[in-house]
Amino acid sequence: MLADPSSLAQKLSALVGEEYVLTGPAAARFAVDAVVPALAVRPGSQQEVASVAAACSAAGASMLQWTDGALIGLGNPPSRLDVVVCLDRLTRIVEFDDANLNVSVEAGVPLDALQAVLSAKHEFLPLDPAQSDQVTVGGLVQTNASGPRRLLYGSLRDWVLGLRVVLPGGERIRCGGKVIKNVSGYDMNKIFIGNLGTLGIVTEATFKLLPAPATRATVVGVFAQLSEVGAVVGRTLESFLLPEALEALDPQALASLGPALGLNGAAGYGLAVSMAGSRETVERQVRDFAALFGEGKALKVETLGAERADAAWRAIRDVHAKLPMGRVIAKIAIPIGKTLDLLSAAEGLMRRHEWRGAITAHAGSGIVRAGIEVGAGSDLEPLREAILSLRREAEALDGSLVLEVAPLSLKRSLDTWGKVREGFSVMRRLKAEFDPRALLTQGRFLGGI
Amino acid sequence: MPDLSALEAKSTSKVELSADLRQVVGKDNVLDSGVNLALYGYDAYLEERRPDAVAFVHSTEEVVGVVKVCNKWGAPFVARGGGTNLSGGTVPVKGGVVIEMIRMNKVLEVDRASLRARVQPGVFNLEFGNALAPLGYQYLPDPASQKAATLGGNVAENSGGPHCFKYGVTTNHVLGMTVVLPDGEVARLGGKAPDTPGYDLTGVFVGSEGTFGICTEIVAKIVRLPEGVKTLLAIYDSIEEGSETVSAIVAAGMIPATLEMMDQLVIEAVEASIKCGFPLDCATVLIIEVDGLKDDLELQAQAITDICKKHGAREVRVAKNDAERAALWAGRRGAFGAVARITPSYLVCDGTVPRTALPAVLRKVAEVSKKYDLKIPNVFHAGDGNLHPLILFDWRNSEQKARVMKAGMEILELCVQMGGTISGEHGVGIEKMDAMRLCFTEEDIEAQVKVKRAFDPKDLSNPGKIFPVAQEVAHAG
Repeated sequence: MLADPSSLAQKLSALVGEEYVLTGPAAARFAVDAVVPALAVRPGSQQEVASVAAACSAAGASMLQWTDGALIGLGNPPSRLDVVVCLDRLTRIVEFDDANLNVSVEAGVPLDALQAVLSAKHEFLPLDPAQSDQVTVGGLVQTNASGPRRLLYGSLRDWVLGLRVVLPGGERIRCGGKVIKNVSGYDMNKIFIGNLGTLGIVTEATFKLLPAPATRATVVGVFAQLSEVGAVVGRTLESFLLPEALEALDPQALASLGPALGLNGAAGYGLAVSMAGSRETVERQVRDFAALFGEGKALKVETLGAERADAAWRAIRDVHAKLPMGRVIAKIAIPIGKTLDLLSAAEGLMRRHEWRGAITAHAGSGIVRAGIEVGAGSDLEPLREAILSLRREAEALDGSLVLEVAPLSLKRSLDTWGKVREGFSVMRRLKAEFDPRALLTQGRFLGGI
Repeated sequence: MPDLSALEAKSTSKVELSADLRQVVGKDNVLDSGVNLALYGYDAYLEERRPDAVAFVHSTEEVVGVVKVCNKWGAPFVARGGGTNLSGGTVPVKGGVVIEMIRMNKVLEVDRASLRARVQPGVFNLEFGNALAPLGYQYLPDPASQKAATLGGNVAENSGGPHCFKYGVTTNHVLGMTVVLPDGEVARLGGKAPDTPGYDLTGVFVGSEGTFGICTEIVAKIVRLPEGVKTLLAIYDSIEEGSETVSAIVAAGMIPATLEMMDQLVIEAVEASIKCGFPLDCATVLIIEVDGLKDDLELQAQAITDICKKHGAREVRVAKNDAERAALWAGRRGAFGAVARITPSYLVCDGTVPRTALPAVLRKVAEVSKKYDLKIPNVFHAGDGNLHPLILFDWRNSEQKARVMKAGMEILELCVQMGGTISGEHGVGIEKMDAMRLCFTEEDIEAQVKVKRAFDPKDLSNPGKIFPVAQEVAHAG
């Protein structure tokens, strides 16, 4: 615990203004996994973040970066937390260089707000995590969140050109730059993407952008068997077709997404495909997918135009987050060819235990996301066992299961990240180099980092 | 820093070092005689330095063994593939052991269902492509040196290539690897499954120029060959108009697979060495390729042709068949080699600028050429803003070489001033160590040193690279 929080509060007030330093119940709103910080501070600029970090560091206070509420649940319960550094006031679009397809933006900017700015110049950042209305640029970078469109576009590591980072002692560093090819020194962006605030506080990101596609369309289908979905996915991946997203839905996800997908009352497994590009290529792919779905024994096929498709995909991405509080969301990552095997395994467990929830899979990207409702006061042991069994299955395939959201009681008995692998020594040394006094985001990351 | 004086003092120990290496890899797989050492002391940059020994390795286990021997003797080591590096990355500046990876040359697995392949680092980039093509797949990064550059070298340098404008560089296509860390520990980073928990060590290892240890197996992303490809050659009487076209194409919302540019001096050299059909009387050409679903390629080609013409192209040719397409690419890929016909040596500048700054930076390069009285042909990845001015000289003329180095530095400074950087794809190596300060502060560089220490606390893996000379890597004591 921090020896003298009020003296630190005074110092921070001098740096950022008294109204932006929160104590007592106001700070308690920033509790993470029921660990209550003594202080929360809302710096108004990147330079203030650096000054705050330097002051906290001098006082030996442990810091945790708060980017947005949507992603704060990721990680093991912090082992210590004195000061929450909230970046919600860093909301500047620093530079939008549309001619060179890049944008530099501060950590507190919500993703949807950024997309709106980009879209005015017919450009977009092809990242589509869940809850994009709440997720901020900082949260995105710290957690490496991604969504269905990673099939065509990849994930954050493919779109970050540069970062500005505050190190725990208050030093400000720049990683990468603005140009799309850059091998000047090490690719430092990579260690900060998904670092969960354990190495530094990301205050600004520069992203590479794409021209907005001329048009988009989505084809959705309902299938009686998961194996039929698998066959269509397999044929898609072997084809020349270039969909943006290829999302498989278990029967519960399909049922709850029915209205959004124009498939009210549909029962079975769902497959949604999104296409983007010129009118010619999108129309051709809509035809080809309708045919593929038909040959694949789809019970029903719907085509959604651009506008309905946008709402449909938002609903697909947010289906787990819409489950009632107390939910568990597990992200399973495995080789692409095994994706639907893990969806099947997760569904089997949910069926056996009659758990309510939703499972979706980025069928061409090796990601399964299972959301499970946890009733108040229910026995968590079967759930814990089920998650461990899925984790064993994923790890046997050299993959992983990460708990993105879980009730605290479950987190206390189940590590968020799973096992460490050969080479973890480098991660530990990296942490020691950047944060020798372990002041940043203590205990939340892989292997107790 | 490693205790080099101790290593020198123990020159008898070099004999023992070789003996230990022979224990690990067998007596026929170690070279330690003068001529042989000279052969492994240089690459495609301009410096050389002899190693104490060269060890040929055939497996991860042998690499572990060799690295442990190096640790025992405090000897630095450098992994080497095709030796095509343009920034001195494989030159063993501190002596020690060159670990030759070229015999680890197998494609271990092509997993089409998971769109991944496992390959050894000694496989040539083109050879990997040739193994995938009959299956209908490809690995996208395609450095111009792909015939002779190995995948291990591509990983070390985060290599680019013409197709990287649309598809990204090596780091976007290497998602896992097995590495031997500088202390001999074997680590598995990333893999066939995405989003491995923890820091993205794969991502930071790619492009670390051999300074983090030795990659012994690569998990690469593979994709289907495109359904269709169209290749265009746009011919200009002014370099200005050619470079303005580049931004105009992107502004029209198109991302071609490639957007390459060659100027007159390069075209002359290329035509003298391989007849590719480039016109000798033009100022510059753009090689533009679009690929993907065939449905709109014709339209894209037409739209690009229109833009080129609007920006002053005197002629736009569309390759009518594979042979014509291959000829255009043979010219582009052969450009560096062909330029060697003009003078015995050249320095390739690898600076990168935001695309829209291309016309301005090309004007400045022409000024630098006049100022230093040096011929500077240009052949480069225009879509990426990645320049390659080739500063021509004769290495036997030391006064001229000094001017070349100054001119090169001036071009890099220009790139940084225009919002760009000092290296797009060739790496810092020994060439641009001092130029690092042009784009990074001391704090930025110190942060990079921290990462180096985390991987290589004893500074044994390819020491003396990347960082400005005064920067200490190893902890004192």
